[in-house]
Amino acid sequence: MYIAGPLADLIRELEKLPTIGPKTAARLAYYLLSAKREDADALAAAIGSLKDRIRLCSRCFSLTEEDPCSICRDLQRDGSMLCVVGEAKDVYAIERTMSFRGRYHVLGGLISPMEGIGVDKLKVKELIERIKPESISEIIVATNPNAEGESTALYLARLLTPLGVNVTRLAYGLPIGGDLDYADEVTLARALEGRRTM
Amino acid sequence: MRVLALELTAFRNYAALRFEPPEGACIFVGANAQGKSNLLEALALLSTGKSFRTSREADLVATGAPAASVSARVRTRHGEVVAQCVISRAGEGARKRFFRQGRAVRYGDFLGGVNAVTFMPYDLQLVGGPAALRRRLINTALSQSSKRYYHDLAVYAKILAQKNALLRAPTVDRALLDTYDDQLAPVGARLVAERASYVRRLGAEASDVHARWVGASPALTIRYDPAPPIADEAPAAIETGLRAAFVRMRPAELARRGSLVGPHRDDVSLSLDGEALSRFGSQGQQRTAVLALKAAEYALLQRATGEAPLLLLDDVLSELDDDRRRAFLESIGSFDQAFITATDPPVMPPGASASLIAVISGALHLSHEVAS
Ligand SMILES: Nc1ncnc2c1ncn2[C@@H]1O[C@H](COP(=O)(O)OP(=O)(O)OP(=O)(O)O)[C@@H](O)[C@H]1O
Ligand SMILES: [Mg+2]
Ligand SMILES: [Zn+2]
Repeated sequence: MYIAGPLADLIRELEKLPTIGPKTAARLAYYLLSAKREDADALAAAIGSLKDRIRLCSRCFSLTEEDPCSICRDLQRDGSMLCVVGEAKDVYAIERTMSFRGRYHVLGGLISPMEGIGVDKLKVKELIERIKPESISEIIVATNPNAEGESTALYLARLLTPLGVNVTRLAYGLPIGGDLDYADEVTLARALEGRRTM
Repeated sequence: MRVLALELTAFRNYAALRFEPPEGACIFVGANAQGKSNLLEALALLSTGKSFRTSREADLVATGAPAASVSARVRTRHGEVVAQCVISRAGEGARKRFFRQGRAVRYGDFLGGVNAVTFMPYDLQLVGGPAALRRRLINTALSQSSKRYYHDLAVYAKILAQKNALLRAPTVDRALLDTYDDQLAPVGARLVAERASYVRRLGAEASDVHARWVGASPALTIRYDPAPPIADEAPAAIETGLRAAFVRMRPAELARRGSLVGPHRDDVSLSLDGEALSRFGSQGQQRTAVLALKAAEYALLQRATGEAPLLLLDDVLSELDDDRRRAFLESIGSFDQAFITATDPPVMPPGASASLIAVISGALHLSHEVAS
């Protein structure tokens, strides 16, 4: 089968993206070919400036255009509370809840000796160095609820509690709006363990 | 439970198979290398999500095909279950996807839909063979009946792998090692508690079955031997014991650069009138004990799920003499459906309806019903 060079190039590039298979890649490429010139240009420009203009915030290591990032600069934020996450995209997830008013710290991964990721590969030293100057009193560890996320959280609690900060962990709970009898046993068991007095 | 229809696509030497197995005993006969074991492997895959003979899952996909599919419609106590497993080649290995009633589900949610007990010649080493074989029997049984157990087992294995990787690292971060031990202790304790309770029930059942076969003496005793030993089955006490063992073994683990204690090193000991079967039992005594153990496994799964699991016997009946074969099948009693392979048609005990099915290079030929 012959596919014109530039089209084949685009399909090949799109296929490298997560969750995109060859069929979807081809569909997207043909769509872009038929889309308006401005739309295609806007997409290309957005991808280009991603690499040119996005960098890591020197204080919290989340993604930003200006350094420090807008959250670190925002004086309305509660500076005594810090939410520690694994990846920059997790900041976005917590921000969407609009219920956290503190600041963030992005570790840049989770501890995993199997993948050669020791504590020295993560922004842990930088985290400790923030505690005193920023007068941080509570650290909420919001790493993923899997084995590595749990290890990283426990490790941080071990490390930070002696420094006089209150270390907390996101609770495991039931999905809102779901029926109790549809929740899987593991989630339900964890939610029971995390029950609280009313 | 009963398989109403089975469909294989590009699975091992089956290009395309649609088969409606009769109830009772389905006996697959055929010369070597025709696909008898492959068929049982497919059925076991729908129960445990894993092959019973290989961890190289790409081998399940027929040579030259990109993906294999195994699916079955099964009548259970809870209505009809349609279970499917698709294995696709991915690079050197393979990727598995699971479906229930046509909808994609996670592995943990796939387990428990189709229940089966598998018995093959390799199991005959359950008494004399490595501890891993006995742990596998317990893990398979408990994972089929408890999602929590399966989840704990997966989490434990994950943390243990991280701990071992850390112990092999050029410098060992002690605080991280403490963290892993902290995480392993509660999960490990739950596994030990579940196993202790299961082995206690399995042992009682197996002893009864054994006594029915050989009389009161010699008596078969099955005991769970966790490391460290436990006084009772309360998870809190077990956890305390595990923590102490981790502390005690720390210097040795650092020196040997690997984990040395915990439920991944547990064993189950079998003895006859107090003497270890693996060291003192004759071949025949060991074999009888294995049969009692498998019959007990079947009975416990039946009790836990409230219905008769599928029985998958690969080549094992021909390994047994007439008396043992009859005793085993009689103690299983009322299976809804059994899948049995043999190179020659085995003698079945009277009562069970049995169908002979010839297997010839990846195709089935229902030859006749041997009603007895
Ligand atoms: N991925 C595969 N693609 C095609 N054929 C395969 C594949 N894997 C195994 N086979 C074939 O399946 C056959 C083995 O089938 P199986 O193990 O079911 O035999 P069997 O009937 O149980 O024989 P036996 O009586 O010796 O145990 C072999 O001939 C092998 O080449
Ligand atoms: Mg075979
Ligand atoms: Zn910032």
